[in-house]
Formats: sequence, C-alpha cells, structure tokens
Amino acid sequence: MKRTWLYTLLAAMIVSALLLTACGGPQPPATQAPAEEPVEEPAEEPAAESAARKVATFIWTQEFDTLNPYYTNMWFSAITQQLWNAWAWDYDDQNAPHPVLVAEMPSEDNGGISPDGSVITMKLRDDIVWSDGTPITSEDFKFTYEMVVDPNNAVASTYPLDLLVSLETPDERTVVMTFEEPFASWQATLWHGLMPAHIMRPVFEAEGTIDGAAWNLKPTVGCGPFVLTDWESGSYARFVANENYWLGKPKIDEIFMRFVPDDASQVAALKTGEGDLGTFIAYSDIPTLEAEGVNMITVFSGYNEGWYFYLDPEKGHPALQDARVRQALALGFDRFSLNEDLLLGLTEPAATYWDNTPWVDPSIEPWPYDPERAKALLDEAGWIDTNGDGVRDKDGVELVLTYGTTTREIRQDTQAVAQQQLSEIGVKIELFNYASDIFFSSYGEGGPAATGANDMFEYSTVPNFPDGDTSEWLCREIPSDESPDGINWPAYCDEELDALFQLQVTQVDFEERQQTFYQITRKIFEEALWVGLWQDPDIFAIGPRLKNVKLSGATPFFNIQEWDLTE
Amino acid sequence: MVGVSRSVDDLLTPPLTLRQLMWLRFRRHKMALFGVAMLILLVIYSFGGAFFFSEAYANTTNTKMRLQPPMAGHPFGTDTVGRDILARTIYGGQISLIIGLTAALVETIIGVLVGALAGYYGGLLDSVLMRVTEAMLSVPQLFLLIVMAKFFGGQIPDLTVMGRTFSGSVIVIISIIGVTSWMYLARIVRAEFLSLKENEFVLAARAIGTPRWQIIFQHILPNSIAPIIVSATLGVAGAIGTEAYISFLGMGVRPPTATWGNMLDGAYNYIETAPWLWIFPGMLIVLTVLSINFVGDGLRDALDPRSRAT
Amino acid sequence: MTRYVIRRLLQAIPLLLFISMVLFVLMRNIGDPLATMGGRRVTRSSDRERLTRQLGLDKPLYVQYFYWLIGNDWTKMDLDGDGVAETPGRMRGVLRGDFGTSLVNRGKPVLEVIWERLPNTLLLMITSEVVVILCALVVGVYSALRQYSLTDQIVTTISFFGYSLPIFFIALLSIYIFAVNFKRWGLPYLPAVGMFDPQVGKTPSQVILHMVLPVFSLSFIYLAAYSRYIRSTMLEVLSQDYIRTAKSKGLPRRTIIFLHALKNAALPIVTVVGLDLPFLLAGAVVTERIFAWPGMGRLFLDHVSRADTPVVMGILMLISIAVIVFQLITDIMYAWLDPRIRYD
Repeated sequence: MKRTWLYTLLAAMIVSALLLTACGGPQPPATQAPAEEPVEEPAEEPAAESAARKVATFIWTQEFDTLNPYYTNMWFSAITQQLWNAWAWDYDDQNAPHPVLVAEMPSEDNGGISPDGSVITMKLRDDIVWSDGTPITSEDFKFTYEMVVDPNNAVASTYPLDLLVSLETPDERTVVMTFEEPFASWQATLWHGLMPAHIMRPVFEAEGTIDGAAWNLKPTVGCGPFVLTDWESGSYARFVANENYWLGKPKIDEIFMRFVPDDASQVAALKTGEGDLGTFIAYSDIPTLEAEGVNMITVFSGYNEGWYFYLDPEKGHPALQDARVRQALALGFDRFSLNEDLLLGLTEPAATYWDNTPWVDPSIEPWPYDPERAKALLDEAGWIDTNGDGVRDKDGVELVLTYGTTTREIRQDTQAVAQQQLSEIGVKIELFNYASDIFFSSYGEGGPAATGANDMFEYSTVPNFPDGDTSEWLCREIPSDESPDGINWPAYCDEELDALFQLQVTQVDFEERQQTFYQITRKIFEEALWVGLWQDPDIFAIGPRLKNVKLSGATPFFNIQEWDLTE
Repeated sequence: MVGVSRSVDDLLTPPLTLRQLMWLRFRRHKMALFGVAMLILLVIYSFGGAFFFSEAYANTTNTKMRLQPPMAGHPFGTDTVGRDILARTIYGGQISLIIGLTAALVETIIGVLVGALAGYYGGLLDSVLMRVTEAMLSVPQLFLLIVMAKFFGGQIPDLTVMGRTFSGSVIVIISIIGVTSWMYLARIVRAEFLSLKENEFVLAARAIGTPRWQIIFQHILPNSIAPIIVSATLGVAGAIGTEAYISFLGMGVRPPTATWGNMLDGAYNYIETAPWLWIFPGMLIVLTVLSINFVGDGLRDALDPRSRAT
Repeated sequence: MTRYVIRRLLQAIPLLLFISMVLFVLMRNIGDPLATMGGRRVTRSSDRERLTRQLGLDKPLYVQYFYWLIGNDWTKMDLDGDGVAETPGRMRGVLRGDFGTSLVNRGKPVLEVIWERLPNTLLLMITSEVVVILCALVVGVYSALRQYSLTDQIVTTISFFGYSLPIFFIALLSIYIFAVNFKRWGLPYLPAVGMFDPQVGKTPSQVILHMVLPVFSLSFIYLAAYSRYIRSTMLEVLSQDYIRTAKSKGLPRRTIIFLHALKNAALPIVTVVGLDLPFLLAGAVVTERIFAWPGMGRLFLDHVSRADTPVVMGILMLISIAVIVFQLITDIMYAWLDPRIRYD
C-alpha cells in the first residue's frame, strides 16, 4: 500500500502545475484586464467573419519592455508607436514629415515658427480621437508635457521637452511651445507619442506618479490605426484595427506580434510563412530568406557603425594622437570586402557619422583600402618596427591597440578580420568583448568605452535622425569624476569643432545649418576622428502576403493603415 | 572477465597489491578502457594536430570563403569569417582540455581544503564553512556562472605564455567554474574526515605531536583519496561541459581564441543553414565528456573498497 | 519534529540573508541598467543623471541593499535633484513581501513579472520530471534485475551518452532532425519554438505538441542520471538479507521486486528527486532559450542582460527559498518514511 504515496505525490504535482498554468494562461484575453477594457471588443467578435479576418503576424526578436512611448528606449517598442499611438507628425519613405495629429507642419510661412525660431505653435486636427472615442485635445499635450518633466515620473528621456520654457494651450486645438533658445532640431525630436490625460490623470492624482500605471504596459486606449487588446509576457501582443482612426480604417484586421528570442526562430517563422514581417535580421540569413520569396527592405535610420578612438591626450595611446596613425588604420582595413562578404553587399562602407542624411559634405568619399599608403603614413609618423618583432614601435612604445566592442556576432567577426589585416601593416590588435549593458555603461559605472579602457571601440549610433544634431562631440560631454554621465567617450575636445556644433543647433535656416555641418563632417572625416565601417540600415523582411508596404527610416510603419494582406 | 579472474583463484600466485587489484578492477570495466583510449586519441588530436596547422592558420580569416560546407581544403568546412573549422577544433580542443583540467584542479583544491578544514577542526569553523557551502548550493550553478561571468568578463587582459597569446577570459572561465563547483566535493571530504579523524592512527599521530597540517595532508588525506580522485575526474567532464554552456549563452572565452564551447556560440543561428558549425565541436565535446565519465565510473568501481567487482 | 522544523527554518534565515547580500553586490556590479535601456544608443547624460536619482541607483550600495530588504517608505527621497529629500519612498522591502519593481518593465512589480512566467516553466519542468521518473523506474529496475546482461550494457551505454550530452546539443540536434529535416523530407514534423501556434491559439493540444521537443531534450539527459541511480539503489537493496529471506520463503518474484525491493529503494530516490526539483528551474535556462519557451529561464537571461537587479534578485531568491524548502521537505519525508530516523 505504501508505494501509492509516490503516485499521489506525482499526481499532486501535475495537478498543481496544471492549475498554475490555468491561472496564468489560457483564459480569453477579455478577462485579463478588468480595469479599462475598451468597448470595441464586442464590436469585433460577433461579426462571425473570422474566416475573412486578415491577420498579419510580426516576428519580434525582442519583447518590448513597456509600451508607454516616454518610458522606453527600446527600438522594438518605439517602432510600434505608429501602430497604436501617434507622433504629432511622422516621416514617409523619403523621410519627409507628414502631419498626423497636427493640421499642418508648423513653418515660418504659416506662423507656426516664430522668426527667431524659439516659439513653435501647433494647430491640431479637428477630428482626432482616442480609440475609446474621447477627443484628443491640447490638454493631452499639456498633460504629456507635465508628466514627462515631473520628477516623480522616471521616464526614459525628458529631452527635448525639458528645453521648453513654457507650454501653453490657448484653446483646445492650439499648443504653443516656447524654447529658451532657437531649437533647430525640433522637428525630429518633439512629440514622439501622446499619453491620454483622461486615463492617466486619475492615476497620477491617486499615486503621485504614473510609473505604475496599467496603461504603460497595457495601453488598450491608443490613437493609432490599431489598438492593443492583449500582451502576454514572453509570447505575443495583439493589436486590432481601430474603428475610430481618422486617417482611414486599416485594411488589415489584426496585427499579431509574436516574441521569439533569437534570429533562428524568427527566420524559421518567416520562411514558413508563419510570420509576415520581421526585423533586425542577421545579414547571414538574408540569402535564405530571399530564396523563400521573402522581400528584404533596407531603410536608413541614421545609424552608422564605426570605430571610435580614445583620444584623451594623457590617458590615451600616444599613437592615436597622431591623425596619420588613425588614417593608416582606416586605410589598412579592407572595409569594402567586409561589406561585400560579411554584410553580403547590402551595405556600403560609411564615410561619416552622418551618412544617409543631408548633412554630409558631398565631396567626401570613404577611405579606400590601401595598405601601402597606410604603411607609408605610419613610417612618416615615426612608427617603425625597430626590434623586429613584427609590430611597429616608437620611443619604446609598441603599436599594440586594444579593440573593444559588444558580443554581437557581426562585431566579433569584424574584429577577427581587422586584427588580421592590421597585423599586416604592423599594428597589433588585442580584442575585447563585453555584454552590451556593460560596454555602454557610463563613466561613473566604470563602462569600458566611457572610461577609455580600450584604445578603440566599435559600435553604431545615430544623431537625432533625420536631424543631424548630436551632443557626442561636445567638450562639456567629456566624462570625468565630476560629470560621470558625459557621452563624449572619445574624450576629444577641439574648440573649433565644439563651436561648430554649438552653432548648428541654433541655425534655423536649413542652408546655413547645412554649411556648418559640411565643415563638421569634413573635419571629422579628414582627421579620421571616427572611421566608418558600414552604414547600418534597418533591415525588414516582408513576407509575400503583405502588400502596399512602405517603410520609413524614422517611423517605419507610417502607412500601416494602407497595408493589405492577400493570399 | 576474460582470463583475469582465473588466476586470482590460483593459490600459488602471490597476493595482489592494492594497486594491482585496482588495475584489475579497472580493466574489467570495458567502457573505462574505451574512455581512456578515446581520451588519448583526443589529446593526440588537439595537441598533435598543432604540428599540421599553425595557430595563425586557425585564426586566419577569409571573408570570401565564409560558411563553406565541408570540402577538400576544409574537411570540416569554414565558419562565419572563413576560418578553417578543423584547425579551430584542434586549437579549441587544447584550450577546452586545459580549461577542463585546471578548473577541475581549482575545484578539487577548494573542495578538499574546505572539506578537510571543516571536517578536521569542526566547531565554529565547520559551521561557517558548511553554511557557505549550503549557500552556494542553494543557488543553481548556471545562475551563479552567468552572474559571475558577467561580473569578471573583459577585465583580464590577454596573456602570453610560451610565445602564444591566450585570451584573458580563459582565466576568468577557469576560476568561475572552479569556484562554483567545489561544494559536493567539500561535503564528501568533510564526511571522510569526520569518520577518519577518530581512527587510532590519527589519534596516535596526534599523541606523538605530529603537526596538524601533517596529520591532515599526510595521514588523513591519503586515506580519503579514492572519492577525491573520482570526483576530480568527473569534475573535468563537468568543467568542459560547463564551459560549453556559458559559451553557448555567449559569455565564454573571448574570440579569436577558440574553444569547443565558443565555437558553438552563435552556431544556433546556423542550425539549419550551416550545421557543420555546431556538429563538429559539439561532437568533440560529447566524446570528451563521455570518455571522461566512463573513466570516472571505472575508477569508482576500481577504487571503491565496497565494490563487488572481482 | 516540530522543533526540528523550526530550528531548520531559523537556520535558513541567516543563510538567505547571506545569499541575498552576495548576489545583490554581484548584480549591482554586472552592468548598468541605464547604459542603453534596451535601446540602440547610449542614454543622454541628463537623462541618466535624473534616472540614477529617481531609481535610487545613486545611493551607496549598502543603502540600496537595505532599501531592497526593508523598504524605503519610512524615509523621504530626493527625486528632483534639488538636494532636499521631500518625496516619501514607495518600496516596502523584501521582508514585507515587496520585491520592488522591475527596471526594465518600469513600474511593474517583480512578483507580477515572475508570476506571469512561472507556470510555464513549472508545466515544462514537472512534465519532464514525471516522464523522467516513470521512464527511469522502468529502465533502472529492468537493468538492475538483469545486471550485466546485454540489455543492461546497452541501457548503461545510452544513459552515459545522455548524461554526457550538453542539453543544448541534444536540443539543437532534435530541432535539426525532428523539425528541420522531417519537414524537408515531407514527414510530419514537430514545432521547434514557442508554446503554441498563434494561428490556432493556446489550446491544450497545441501546448502539448510544442512541449514534445523540449520535454524530450530535458528528459533524455535527466533520464540517464536517474536510471543509473535507481539501478544502483535497486542492486543494493536486492543484495540485502531480507530480500534473500523473502526469496527463500518462496514469495512470488513480482511481489519481491515491487513490494519489498522497490519500496525500500524508493527512499534514496525520493531524496534525489526532492533535491533536484528546484534545480530543474535552472535547467530551464538553456532549454527555454532554444525552444523559445516563455518561462522563467528566458526571463532570467533577458533581465540579466539589462542588469535588472530587482527581477534577477527576485528569481534567485525564490529559487534559493525553493531549494531550502525542498531540502526540508525531503528531510521530513525521509523521517516519515523511515521510522528509524529521528531528528529530535
């Protein structure tokens, strides 16, 4: 009799597991959010046309951390904002702005921008409504502004709303923003999403913060062509068409985002047609996807992968202080074959930090691959192999550079190739890899790139695309014990360059600003302060069923309401 | 079984020494013999192979020849930057075997020290050491490894030993594997010490004033060597497997230094398109771990006085 | 017995404190949660400065630990950076059951984050454990009864194989064979990733279908160890006097094996199972990653990679507690099953 206990135990375990799963899992989505379930759910269901329902499946390799546009930095969350939320204006496939919440783009001609560029007035459309039918008014803008700058809310970024002196709402349809100084990059940075005052304000009044608001993780009231119905952690998020969308009801009924943890599962799903759209595709997977009839679309969102050098005059490697050595590194690494082979010819070597924007001096061509010229430059700079160990040296210092980057496969592969090619011009490279949350840690946290733990670093970053502004090269951004959060990690300070950067951000006139940027790009390029490896576009895989797909760099899904699904 | 046990019955043969007896028992364990043979082959493969391919060749990239399937020039194919996988499994094997051996050594030293001190001295020291052991046992090793691999990752520069450059992360991996896997051994050693320290020979040694370290290391330790040897052997297999685990999760030895483990890093993305990326290093890991486990099992049978074999 | 249980529980408290302290220090040093915050570019300096303050990351490590442990609702925090602490803290601390809020899913309580994933892991793990125990009993008993037979040798060899296979290798191999190649050959193939097919929905049959490969991979590896263990325990029991007595009394073989031998062999098996259960949660890490199973292992990896201390600490502490509790349960069960054992 006694052995029955074993079976009892096992049975108990199975039952408890099933119970637990039952609690967490398979209920219909409707019962999961008691608080603020919108009314459109019943409107969808009884239509009993489930056979004709058009469901597009997106395969995401990263799950969003939160959906509140002001609480996330994640790209996978940000690109959904055109689905269920809205920017005041988004960008089309030519990266031209087109109004969404505003009636027209503010400009000097229509009085939207004051002559000195410090006051911007937005006129809102009359027909904009939240998906629950509540009208969107200037009050929502004011509320969003107040929430972002309130110290009780740990939003991801307050920029650029923290530059505002005031935000006024003279009437329901007008928002007037006053900046301290003319702010040239307003168009690319302002109003990336909106929070519904009628839902969030009670939360803020009750809790003193909106950090814990249910809407952040489950924004079932939105203002995009689709609206979120449910999000199951680790599995999926579901968006259905928003009946109240003012730019036209979407042609697709439902967008189902499925979270898979890695590229392989994503590629598998795209190949079998289980997935209609995927992004952040590894370059190596592209040929197999194309062979299965999946369309690959590359769009530039301003990212360029490149080498940064640690240029601190005291702590940096002495060789890197010499522009000729940096130029030699650029000349000694065959970035053309790299793009052709490792990146499958889908990208080009980047010449500047601003490639694919209008800010680059058109006369700039990327450094060619010319190991002989590289050797000559190194000789000229005095770096010669005097002790015959195969590595150049000068004044007793060997030309051994440490090269750090993250653990991403393409970066590790690039490191291996660069190490070999640079050894051929007499430069020895030691490789370092860090998890990305360590690599990008601040100076205060001892991050390797911020503290200059290595001599050169590889990563990809972006200005305020499609704008060109960045604070990365400003002298005041050099991290130190006093300002541990600075982001001028190369620790490079040049008064002339600094002045040019300070100037461009105040230049409201496009042509003038462009000329300033031409000077900036020429200087950074010619002195090889930054050496571009490849232009780092966003790669989208679009399954054969999806039609009318256009993608933009800044706001990829800008015309998603026009997408269609065919068999 | 074959022809060996016959002679044991023969009263005319002199009695076997302990060592001979062990060898007899070990020999009966065919799997263990297979394991030894396999291990010898693997060592020849990874260290002897170095005469055919230089390390520079193993690290030579050729982006025009990336992801080539096995073929004449590259019997195991090439990887994502066109390096020869055969040469890399050879040099990777060296590092993997070294990691396995040294990590098991670190593990054994810590385990024996902690176990011996706790078992011999007892009292407060015992309580403290055993609480630490329990604490470490309460967190699964893989979780500890991930956290520690991130903590120490990228902090140690490359080292050059005998003209060859090794990634500093080799040291990190060896240490963290050693530091997170000694707990079971410590418990075994402690138990052995607890039972042995009251034996007459220890009491006698103590009575004539033998120094404590001598009692610990020269009197008690040799008597509890059997479980330590078995545990250390299995530890080597464990360490090689563990290295593969953390490498698979992308936190192992930094490239370009190859190990069987870090050759698998990222191979997940080529499960279908380039299976040769993961099949060859994977098979080598399995073979090594399997052989060591066989040897360990054989040793257990041979060294265990209660073993019914022979 | 009650006194023994109470004593063990009291002993567990300093142990858990010690574990939590070490892990907290490690965690806070293995990455910067504000580095990119999951984005592709570095956090702006002004935002980083503000967030460090708002999330309390600017406090000395021991203060952060104390806030985590006992909460900070008894004191005031400076959120706006004017040097005046005016806002009351919101954490109640682990000791009062508040594991804090996630840094990644900002504002979401840690327990909620974990709770969403725990059932999925348990479903996978317990199913595997049941499969393993049942198969291991059959295999182990069978090979013990026919020690050194051909079957025993084969079983032993296979189980050694399983024991030596890293789980990712068998997982990759099983995907390659049963998902990729079966499909290529036009055979009925198994789904490789996820918990269910979104087109069909989360139905029991879908979940079971998606569980086949991960459960197979996990079971194969544990089966080896367990069946070896059951085999050797059975062998030991079978050589005991009372079995010989039973045999000489002429009891049926079946009765001897199942009633007498297995019952006594069950004791050490229970120990192993009991002690292993919490560790199964850890075994999930790699399996869940490969099969895209939305469980706690994947949660752990995702949040470790963004240095989300509260969530990672929550997972680790829950597992540590589970380990300690299961150890205690095993001990109690041991005493209950074997009247010779007394803890008082």
